[in-house]
Amino acid sequence: MGSSSKEETATDADTSSGDTPPSNSNVFSEGERVLAYHGPRIYEAKVQKAELRKKEWKYFVHYLVSIKGKQKSLLWLGHLANSWDEWVGADRLMKHTEENVIKQQALDKKQGVDKSSKSGRSAQTKPKSSADAKADKEDLKNTVAKGKKRKSDSGVEKDNSSMEKLVKIQIPSTLKKQLVDDWEFVTQQDKLVKLPRSPNVDDILTKYLEYRSKKDGTMTDSIGEILKGIRCYFDKALPVMLLYKKERQQYQDVVLDDVSPSTIYGAEHLLRLFVKFPELLAYVNIEEETLTRLQQKLMDFLKFLQKNQSTFFLSAYDGSRGSEGKGKGKDD
Amino acid sequence: MEGGGGREKEEEQDGVSVHSPCKAPPSSASSLPKEQQQVELELRLLEALEIYPPVKLRGMHRHFVLYGLMEFLRRSLDRQFSPDEVLQLLDRFYNLEVLKPDDEEMDILSHEEDFCLPQSYFVKEES
Repeated sequence: MGSSSKEETATDADTSSGDTPPSNSNVFSEGERVLAYHGPRIYEAKVQKAELRKKEWKYFVHYLVSIKGKQKSLLWLGHLANSWDEWVGADRLMKHTEENVIKQQALDKKQGVDKSSKSGRSAQTKPKSSADAKADKEDLKNTVAKGKKRKSDSGVEKDNSSMEKLVKIQIPSTLKKQLVDDWEFVTQQDKLVKLPRSPNVDDILTKYLEYRSKKDGTMTDSIGEILKGIRCYFDKALPVMLLYKKERQQYQDVVLDDVSPSTIYGAEHLLRLFVKFPELLAYVNIEEETLTRLQQKLMDFLKFLQKNQSTFFLSAYDGSRGSEGKGKGKDD
Repeated sequence: MEGGGGREKEEEQDGVSVHSPCKAPPSSASSLPKEQQQVELELRLLEALEIYPPVKLRGMHRHFVLYGLMEFLRRSLDRQFSPDEVLQLLDRFYNLEVLKPDDEEMDILSHEEDFCLPQSYFVKEES
């Protein structure tokens, strides 16, 4: 397949002579800001020159890649280093519209999440979004560049997404209500969960394991592993994504040294983890079947939380700020 | 791969190495199916590792990766595998201690954001 669009222009004449009205293809003008496909991603670029070659418009683009502090894009920057500017056909470009920027971001996100899933297995579940992103390109390609493939095609093709198979965790409605109350207490009423909690997250996980083993008659290894996974996620995720802004100071005060948050926080914060769970699990490329089983087990755990809602969750939060964890503050 | 060279030697003395699947010890006829089983097991494990890269066994996702491996092996060999069993098997191929957690994980954890309850939770719906 073509290595560079430049070389191919010579042969293009044969394939696209009759059916390519040149007037219709000059959709980008010099100096215009555009979005350009390069590899699996879309980058901002500027059209430096536009030339009609062999009845086909070619654009000399300069990529405007801003470093957003994302390590992943840096990988791609390395790849780009040799081709900051290049001649491309219209099939590689898109208008710089809001809609297209969203496509760009979608692709970015997908690339980020999907970096490590090399197995072709998931290719069968072709993500709709990327297909959409390509769909209108496809149209352009058919009219403008018949019989010619842009070199980055393979890159885009391979782009399959684990976002597509995000595990769905249906949170029982009473627990949803709990989450809304939690939001209300913390963000609207300026209250905090008084720490340390009893039962804490570790206690709850242990209780569940006991409950499960009693019910099933055996200690199931897989449940144990999943519970460890929950604990590990909780400890890592708590400071990074499970705290409301107003809770950060409390975290600083209470979680000292290498104390594990799962020994301090309780059901209120554990439940928030389940809102984030699909996002976290997306980083593991879990097979469909296993994912379904895992999903069932997580839901079973949630039902357990629900059953014990009145004992696991606080019904009122602590209104006196500044009493973080010390218990010296007076309740209202 | 990384490390684990010493262990491999041990295995070879037992006669159950992947490297000599065809050579059964002549004395014991009963060890042949056992050896085949072993080869089968290791093959499945390698298949599983394509989906669940060992490097992920070092980071925050390790338990779910291990769970994935357990499930994969359970399905393909039709018996239960405990987490320890899987880890012991892996130990033959990898020195997990040496593997570094991948930077993808650093990415999640370095990006601090406030918790935000999705809009859908505020909509009243019973289901």
